Amino acid sequence: MRVVLSWLREFCPTELSAEELAELLTSKGAEVEAVERPWERLRGVIAARVLEVRDHPNSDRLCVARVHTGSGETEVVVGVRNMAPGDIVPLAGPGAMVPLLPEPLAAREIRGVVSNGMLCAPDELGISHSHEGILILPPDLEPGTDLKRALGLDDAVLDIEVTPNRPDFLSVIGIAREVAAATGAPLRIPEPTFPEEEERADEVATVRVEDPERCPRYLARVLRDVRHVASPIPVQARLTAAGMRPISAAVDATNYAMLEVGQPLHPFDLALLKGPGIVVRRAREGERMVTLDGVERVLTADDLLICDLERPVAVAGVMGGEVAEISEATTDILLESASFERGGIQRTRRRLELSTEASMRFERGVDPEAVPRGADRACELMVAWCGARVLSGAVDVGRAPERRWVSMRTSRASMLIGYEVTPADAVSVFDRLGMRSRIDGEVVHVEIPGYRVDIEREVDLIEEVVRIQGYDRVGATLPPVRQAGGVPETVAFLGRVRELLVRAGLREVQLVPFVSETDLALVGATDAIRITNPLQAEEGWLRTSLLPNLLKAVRRNLHRQVRSVAIFEVGTVFRLVAGRPEERPSAAFALTGVADPGWTGGGRVYDVFDAKGVLEAVAAGLGIRLDHGEALGRPFHPGRSAAVLLRGERVGVLGELHPSVAAALDLTGRIAVGELDLPRLREAASEARIVGAEIPRFPPVRRDLAFVVDVDVPAAAVEAVLREAAGELLDACLLFDVFEGDPLPPGKRSLAFSVDLRAPDRTLGSEEADAVVARIAERLARELGAELRTG
Amino acid sequence: MEPEQARRTLETERERGLRAIAEAASLDDLERARVTFLGRRSPWSEVQRSLGSLPPEARRELGRLANEVKAALDGALAARRAELEALAEDELLRTDRVDVTLPGRRPRPGSFHPLTIVQEEIVGIFTRMGYRVAEGPEIEDDWHNFEALNIPPDHPARTMKDSLYIDVPGLLLRTETSAVQIRTMERQEPPVYVVAPGRVYRREAVDATHGSVFHQVEGLAVDEGISFADLKGTLEAFARALFGPERRVRLNPDYFPFVEPGAQVAVSCFLCDGSGCRVCGNGWIELLGAGMVHPKVLENCGYDAERYTGFAFGMGVERVAMVRYGVNDLRLFYDGDVRFLERFEGAA
Repeated sequence: MRVVLSWLREFCPTELSAEELAELLTSKGAEVEAVERPWERLRGVIAARVLEVRDHPNSDRLCVARVHTGSGETEVVVGVRNMAPGDIVPLAGPGAMVPLLPEPLAAREIRGVVSNGMLCAPDELGISHSHEGILILPPDLEPGTDLKRALGLDDAVLDIEVTPNRPDFLSVIGIAREVAAATGAPLRIPEPTFPEEEERADEVATVRVEDPERCPRYLARVLRDVRHVASPIPVQARLTAAGMRPISAAVDATNYAMLEVGQPLHPFDLALLKGPGIVVRRAREGERMVTLDGVERVLTADDLLICDLERPVAVAGVMGGEVAEISEATTDILLESASFERGGIQRTRRRLELSTEASMRFERGVDPEAVPRGADRACELMVAWCGARVLSGAVDVGRAPERRWVSMRTSRASMLIGYEVTPADAVSVFDRLGMRSRIDGEVVHVEIPGYRVDIEREVDLIEEVVRIQGYDRVGATLPPVRQAGGVPETVAFLGRVRELLVRAGLREVQLVPFVSETDLALVGATDAIRITNPLQAEEGWLRTSLLPNLLKAVRRNLHRQVRSVAIFEVGTVFRLVAGRPEERPSAAFALTGVADPGWTGGGRVYDVFDAKGVLEAVAAGLGIRLDHGEALGRPFHPGRSAAVLLRGERVGVLGELHPSVAAALDLTGRIAVGELDLPRLREAASEARIVGAEIPRFPPVRRDLAFVVDVDVPAAAVEAVLREAAGELLDACLLFDVFEGDPLPPGKRSLAFSVDLRAPDRTLGSEEADAVVARIAERLARELGAELRTG
Repeated sequence: MEPEQARRTLETERERGLRAIAEAASLDDLERARVTFLGRRSPWSEVQRSLGSLPPEARRELGRLANEVKAALDGALAARRAELEALAEDELLRTDRVDVTLPGRRPRPGSFHPLTIVQEEIVGIFTRMGYRVAEGPEIEDDWHNFEALNIPPDHPARTMKDSLYIDVPGLLLRTETSAVQIRTMERQEPPVYVVAPGRVYRREAVDATHGSVFHQVEGLAVDEGISFADLKGTLEAFARALFGPERRVRLNPDYFPFVEPGAQVAVSCFLCDGSGCRVCGNGWIELLGAGMVHPKVLENCGYDAERYTGFAFGMGVERVAMVRYGVNDLRLFYDGDVRFLERFEGAA
């Protein structure tokens, strides 16, 4: 809500500056987001009388105006010719400034004629958005008068963020009430006055409300002989500053009254209303009408319509229709001022995706008591601005509800706020708010005016007390927490996994969890959850795996010339399980590029073994064992991937991307990734036990054993047999070399293990060790055709 | 051997030996010199062996001389060996030299995401005050996300944040971590002191200050006799733990359907201490929404709203991270740009 300061002061004559008011209102809950001064840069523009308008000697389009400035004559070149001798126009002479131009004006030659400044259009002065012609000022302005002062443009605008609970702040009077409550300044709201004709409104038009729940009150005033003129310039300036577009005096009067009172109003061209009469009813399912913006709207049975006796003429509380719209030809007006039920307006506004000044107010709650005042104020203005004649009375159906009373215990208020509130304190707050109240022991009963739709129960009154007394009066104490704080294991576990991945040298990322259908296809997901109203189609689903978006992050980095990418994410993945959503935490990582870009790195690039190393580090850090199962299909490289197994059950994937998949994703080089399902890891990790005792006291016998095997014998199989054959004396076994090529025959490779043998109770003798080695060699030869290399 | 000849031999050998030792250029040379002059086949050994056949007087005299020569040569050998060894070590060190200005061999550095860092810090402050961390699902139902929080279907507050719905009827991506308040109260009886960090979702076009996904930390305290002053004191303690002991908090009235009275909470700027700067503008950093839990919300969870009162607060993790690290574009948090993430290697 944009509130013009001079307008506000008409109702509450506060001495405070705009900035002081802004701070005060903010501290009371009407947050002033900005103080603007639309005419701050307007300086030195005066009224001038046009003496002569003649053709520009060197231009067909331009003309030259000679004007009287009050103290002399001057000439300016003008691009339009809507002014005539005798008109009073705005002159910005050399040195003057107008809001729309960055520099002060100067005399300059335009095609051979010196122009001493310019005549101004309304938009150049910030009066309206019109740039069609020079602004013609009222004839009674003396040439030489400073326009900023004469038009009251030395003004400020408070831009107030209105919270949904305070729709009364969507009006100048509503803000004025709050200023009066906050400052103690008087509040003066004059009753609109205007003469009424003998002819009665209810003899001219009828009103029938078929749905009184959705429209508790409908009041129509009738006006005749409404002249089509522009509203006064200061009014246009106020409307523009308040964020509305001046249109014509009649329309401006309804908007002006709405901004002032908070009551949305709608003028219909009486001549275009069949009957003439108004029927308020629900739309028929699929009924159509064209609204003022020229769009044909399809309605539902839940939408409320304003109709004449034959057809819809407005979507109630949202927007008028084209058929009875007022125009230049309009002379008689039926003016609507009504109450509509909030929820219905909101549903219609949502369905039609059509938010207007009216719907915005109705869906938050308009003061039901303001219906007559809104109409009367607009009538008063139309009488003044358009010479309208107002018919006597109104066609008025329904009425405002009774005011409710709400009670507050001062003991409860004191307890909740944390300082002592007496009944007298409370009453003084409600007095300032202009609410009637009554003390009854420690209880204060308060009558709630119609504009305070937010006050329903005791706590709402307690809020008023602390709000008006000031939040800064509240002390600072601490509640008596009588428990130890802590983190549930599920949450702590995610932190542990993050920590391990960071320790493994990866950088944590957080990515948006939306994916596209292509992303789902990439990971073969068939049980993804669709978002019904995504902002973009690429974000139409919830991720089932962290990998697709992780790969996109990898790609972004590669495109930015990042040499080495090693990233991970720990986050939720979503699936539909038996028709219900399931959320599971997951961890995924990706490595690509040069493993160590430094001078010692030798240019080695990340591959599947780096990913596997990360996995091993995580497993070790969690005290669990992860095994590797069968190779994976797409999107993985069939020869460089494996399922990750925990106790034989698949809990994740590991591998390099299939080269053609990588290419399709615009990724180059080897991309090594892994993903783990965390709940199952957590279960296993929770069972892991660390035993700190029994560090061996006797020295090991270390033997380096190299076995030559067929290349397709997995190293893990060799190690498994070795471990089994070595039995209890095996203390450690490290695969330290893998070798293929000369002098080995093709199809063979050598796997070298450093084997530590140790007895827990004695120093192992070399004969015993030799026996173990022989046993290992024999088993491996028999089971895997391995040959122990010697020498 | 004649005594005279033996004496000459010893004298000559001493002179030659000392010279050879002095001239030895390497430890190998030196070893060769030792063998030549004191080895078994050296003239000195020959003299030594012949001593037995000499008359006693000559034997005594020549024996002493032979010992003198050996001592002289041994001494010279040891001295020269020490010299040569020192030289050899110098040489070794010289050839082993490297350019220590070359960059070190660094383990691959990992780093936490700034939002993780900030969230953990916020949560840590409250767990140290005795709060427990509570969780809730990211996909919520209408009851927990809206209705129980005093936001009925037609409530205007629903229009403030457009929600993202999923294709299971009645479910949506939660718009506030406040839903966790309800889940917590449904699960346990008072007293309740919890914080709930988590992701929330909005149907919002992404720009420098808005995202469709962001993080909040929600706090809830429900107990007998909890007051608005307790809320203020708690947030003051929090702000001081997060931004320094000099911080002040300022509460202004604000509206959230699930609290009454409601407040917007600002903290005096940690950079300019409230005088106004580039980061805060007017000296205050708006950080939280807060208020006393609306009695309707307590009632919705089956609590006795006469007996129990409480406060709730919520803050945006991104907001805190942006202020703390001077990040001016929210999108940086969700891009995965390694160049951005590197900056947080040093964050504790």
